[in-house]
Amino acid sequence: MLVGISLISFFIMHLAPGDITSNEAAFNPKASEESRQKLREMYNLDKPIIVQYGLWLKRMVTLDFGQSFASHQKPVFWQTTDAEGNVTEGLIQQALPITLMINLLGLAITLSLAIPLGIIAARKYQGWQDRSITLFNFIGFSIPGFWLSLLLMYWLGVVNNWFPISGMHSLNYESLDTWDKIKDTFSHLFLPVVIPSITGLAGITLFVKNGMLDVLQQDYITTARAKGLGEHKVVYTHALRNALLPLITIIGLSIPGLIGGSVIAETIFAIPGMGKLFYDAVLMRDFPVVMGILTIGSALTLVGNLLADVAYAWADPRVRRGVAKT
Amino acid sequence: MPPLSNLKIAVSLSFILFIAGCHSPTDNQNLIDYNAQFPKISGGTLINAMTGEPSGLISMIAGESASSAISSNIFNSLLKYDKNLELEGDLVEHWDISTDQKTITFKLKPNLKWADNNPLTSADVLFTWQAVTNEKNASPYASDFLLVKKAETPDPQTFRVTYDQAYAPALDSWAGLQILPKHLLEGKDLHTTAFARNPVGSHYYKLDSWKHGEHLKLSRNANSVLGPARIDNLVTRIIPDNSAQFLELMADNIDLMGLDPIKYSRIIPARPELQKKLALYKELGNSYTYMGFNLKHKPFDDVRVRRAINYAIDKQEIIDGVYLGLGINIASPYKPGTRWSNPRLTPYPYDPAKARALLKEAGFTDSNGDGILERDGKPFSFEIITNQNKEREKSAVLIQRRLKEVGIDVQIRAIEWASFISRFIKTGDFDVVVLGWGLGLDPDQYNIWHSSQQAPGQFNFIGYNNPKIDKLLEQGRLELNPDKRMDIYHQFSATLLEDCPIIYLSAGYGLTAIHKRVKGIDDPAPPAGIGHNSQDWYIPQSLRRNEISAH
Repeated sequence: MLVGISLISFFIMHLAPGDITSNEAAFNPKASEESRQKLREMYNLDKPIIVQYGLWLKRMVTLDFGQSFASHQKPVFWQTTDAEGNVTEGLIQQALPITLMINLLGLAITLSLAIPLGIIAARKYQGWQDRSITLFNFIGFSIPGFWLSLLLMYWLGVVNNWFPISGMHSLNYESLDTWDKIKDTFSHLFLPVVIPSITGLAGITLFVKNGMLDVLQQDYITTARAKGLGEHKVVYTHALRNALLPLITIIGLSIPGLIGGSVIAETIFAIPGMGKLFYDAVLMRDFPVVMGILTIGSALTLVGNLLADVAYAWADPRVRRGVAKT
Repeated sequence: MPPLSNLKIAVSLSFILFIAGCHSPTDNQNLIDYNAQFPKISGGTLINAMTGEPSGLISMIAGESASSAISSNIFNSLLKYDKNLELEGDLVEHWDISTDQKTITFKLKPNLKWADNNPLTSADVLFTWQAVTNEKNASPYASDFLLVKKAETPDPQTFRVTYDQAYAPALDSWAGLQILPKHLLEGKDLHTTAFARNPVGSHYYKLDSWKHGEHLKLSRNANSVLGPARIDNLVTRIIPDNSAQFLELMADNIDLMGLDPIKYSRIIPARPELQKKLALYKELGNSYTYMGFNLKHKPFDDVRVRRAINYAIDKQEIIDGVYLGLGINIASPYKPGTRWSNPRLTPYPYDPAKARALLKEAGFTDSNGDGILERDGKPFSFEIITNQNKEREKSAVLIQRRLKEVGIDVQIRAIEWASFISRFIKTGDFDVVVLGWGLGLDPDQYNIWHSSQQAPGQFNFIGYNNPKIDKLLEQGRLELNPDKRMDIYHQFSATLLEDCPIIYLSAGYGLTAIHKRVKGIDDPAPPAGIGHNSQDWYIPQSLRRNEISAH
């Protein structure tokens, strides 16, 4: 599976015209074509693609993701130590934790808002609560994230000076004590985490609402009500568990997004995450980085799907027994 | 309505939680009078921003502008340019050129030191030359230095290079080569060494810290070979998005930013609170935009057609429309105001009648009355290609309209950079391009105009071939006397203008906003730009940012 993915991505990447030597900085009359040719030889870019793929695969077998062409030959994946003990951190090693943290926080916020909103909308179906939540969702869904980001950056950062506008840490971060460091990090993360969760809220709220509506019409809910159980118990104990089952699939599907990051958000907020890393690598034709991210990304996606399947089986006995009955 | 108030509580709770983590604004900035007189003192921090992160700080390897922007504060070269763009010594006290113009002897200043207290000698210079010419290092800038036949160090303060034949751009090349410390780099692979992220230099500043993807902090180098700079720390934040940078500038979190014409002439002047704290500077930029013909394609091989198109384009309209008037019309590929720019030349005026006459002379007539000219039954129609650059696209649109008026049908295509270069420029598969060239400080433009530079990947991709130009370019390379050289390049620009292989569209101004707390900036800017004396900029104590509350 991974070999197939890597083969396809390798060839697609090499179909794009140009290579590392054709970036804009290299369009400089002082830089001669001979020196670009030397660079191509150094990175084996003058060899046939199939040979390049073979070389790449050979390194991959030993889990060596290679070095970036563009960033002073930094290792793509994990840190290396040279003879004098200078540690060079890997590009993915630096970017992945940042992206993961932001996206997990964002997902947590989205879920913690979407589930209550979905339940409310389902319970007051067609009522004014439902309608205003739907309206709110549509607005959130239609607003372009970058536009909302810039407006909020202006309002919260420039006009009111409540939040930092961009970046991950304050310049004096190193000199802060632990508590201030945490506060500093959270205030920097506020906008980049909250804005995507608002715009991502719509889909999940609708999902919860529809799941809940389906479940509330089923016979066992009628039975529960007939038993004389309180409405609260019916909704939150009996219905909710079943209504949330499909969410596992949604979360499983969102795993590639969790590690992929978003180019636009990371660019606007000056966050050195995976989206920006990948985007820049594609523009620079930095093949080792592109391949490294795609390989690790697809491996993690496969793992995520597997986990989602296992979790589904754990949560739903019908799946375990293989009686796919609804 | 209990559910809604639940929601309200949840939202406001999370707001309060996060707001508690922020500093309350202490905004007394509106009360400060930035225009008062302040004593010149040292200290403080200047914060600026750039869009890309350097890959490393050995600029002969990294090759990108982000790298040299930082490393030029850390490393010295042998020579540098003064405020009028004339060469002067940087590490070098004086230099002598032999009578046959083939040998240059550089005499280093006495007692030079690296930031780590080791002496800086001619051995370091020799080492740097060896590094840049070493095939293994594949430096993009090697070609100038490969022409050195012999490099020697008669004593620790003298460095001598001998060329096979006189090579005038040599001096400029030595002004561009940053000298690296031999004692730290000998035997290291320059492509992987940790030195690129932890450099030791000799200039005003040394690297203090580098947080990947966030910022680089430079602090004053006590051993600076040119004496101390006034500002203690230079912080460069990495903010990829221009709008975010501008918001940071408005919020007073950065001191300095390059602007586009809209911000310079519309947004900032319209906001009194910004005008109060930001000073705007305008300097001649280091590049120009041009429209270049593929001279191997008909009908662009005909000089009358090229001139006709030049007359048909209203350059001032492009400057006013695209650059909001913040550019100038040029007549030679050199920065106006420097000695290389020929003051006697004037750009082609906008003259559609003359354009029509020239086109007619070249055999183009509108025989079928559709508004488009034809020659030999074929309509005069071509495609302008450019990369995805807003200013260039807009310029192309204005050109399209003006050429339509004289009966030429133009299409426009904008293409992503790497595809643009490999698919169209390298293969020569284009009619007309709208692109830009940097205005180098040395007048030699052999690589761009000489007829021998037309192979794929070389820079004369328009296929220009003019024996007179070739000869002047060759002469210009052999003449090291600045006055004689000036005559050669004045002739060169005059010939180029007459022959019109490209149309100069405009040279935009470099626009910068700097917070008024920064003092000592030359205004108006000299030819070298406002940055030429940045070591003398200072920030008065009372205007400094409270560094604890800086985000």
